[in-house]
Amino acid sequence: MTEAELIKKIQILNQIEPRKDWVDFTKKRILGVKEERRWDAIFSVFPRLFPALKPAFAIMGIALIFVVTSGFAQNALPGDFLYSFKKLTEKSHAIFLSENEKPKAQLELTNKRLEELAKIAQTNQTQKLAPAINEFQASTVEAAKNLAKVAKSEKNSKIVKEVVIQTQKLEEQKKNIEALGIVVGESEELNSALKELVEREIKDTENKSLSEEQEKVLESAKSDFESEKYSEALTKIITLSQQ
Amino acid sequence: MILMENLKKKYSKIYDQYIAKIYRFIFIKVNSQEIAEDLASETFLRGWERLKELDGKIDNLPAFLYQIARNLVVDHYREKNNTNLVSADSSQIADPRNDLGEKVAFDSDLRIILATMTGLSDDYREVINLHYLDDLSIKETAQILNRPEGTVRVMLHRALKELREQLKG
Repeated sequence: MTEAELIKKIQILNQIEPRKDWVDFTKKRILGVKEERRWDAIFSVFPRLFPALKPAFAIMGIALIFVVTSGFAQNALPGDFLYSFKKLTEKSHAIFLSENEKPKAQLELTNKRLEELAKIAQTNQTQKLAPAINEFQASTVEAAKNLAKVAKSEKNSKIVKEVVIQTQKLEEQKKNIEALGIVVGESEELNSALKELVEREIKDTENKSLSEEQEKVLESAKSDFESEKYSEALTKIITLSQQ
Repeated sequence: MILMENLKKKYSKIYDQYIAKIYRFIFIKVNSQEIAEDLASETFLRGWERLKELDGKIDNLPAFLYQIARNLVVDHYREKNNTNLVSADSSQIADPRNDLGEKVAFDSDLRIILATMTGLSDDYREVINLHYLDDLSIKETAQILNRPEGTVRVMLHRALKELREQLKG
């Protein structure tokens, strides 16, 4: 290897760059004192004009900042400065959901994590890949917890249908991401919760009187179950319940 | 007041010009995004405080910042009570952010060169970093490292030789 070739190789390290939001934030933290003072001055005028309303202005100010920041945070990706704010917003939405709505909502969030991962991969933001995979895995664990509750609770066809739609979407997205060369890993918790759910649905269906055609579909679902294709098995069982 | 504004403008320019370089300089030593961010922001904060104290009278501000960065890295490892400046585990360097890196398809050339740099001594890594990555002249590199220019030339020659050998192996 010639010296020029070696130096060219060394210069690959120039790819190491800091995050842009961190660069901007740090600069503002060190040098942006004047700007902050300007804003302080603007906000301080209101309480001086209406001293009795000081607490109300404070609450309004906080609410306004929250709304504006959560708006900006919606496009944030794992590793971004505003990402934790995005997750906080999602968590606060989840508080208002009923137990029946939670499994679907959590699976939607897991799908959202995969969408973020795909976006990162497509835009070649390699620095964010690892945090995005972490977020996806954490989200599947949460989804699995909710699914396990569904499997143990009283049968609710609507929830099961929603689970089918979301898990199908999840598998499709996962395949697309893996086609880009990114390994997101298996979620044992999610598979095990799905397995439990499918097992229950198969048992329920076995107790029903089925036509010859429906028996065939059930057998096919059982075969999918044996091959650990839980999402496909669930889809078949759902079609049976719709017939 | 005017002096302060001028100082801010001056430092703002230096910040824009050197933040990525200082960050990379630290990153190659610590192999962690989080620590590199912490130490780089501390570097610029201390630089700014010192510049204000001295009313802007610092001869070579970039060299001064590199010096702060070097000292902060040394302090960091002293606090951690680490004898080696860099971990010998190359898998941690492949994805500096966390251990999931193995699962991610990173640029293999970047991975190889980072891992190989780990095998070099801190002196060699620094001299390569400053001269070939940050494009500093021999004179500027010598100033930052507190060594005569001749020594820096010899160090560069030996560092390249060592790096080439390690890449072969």
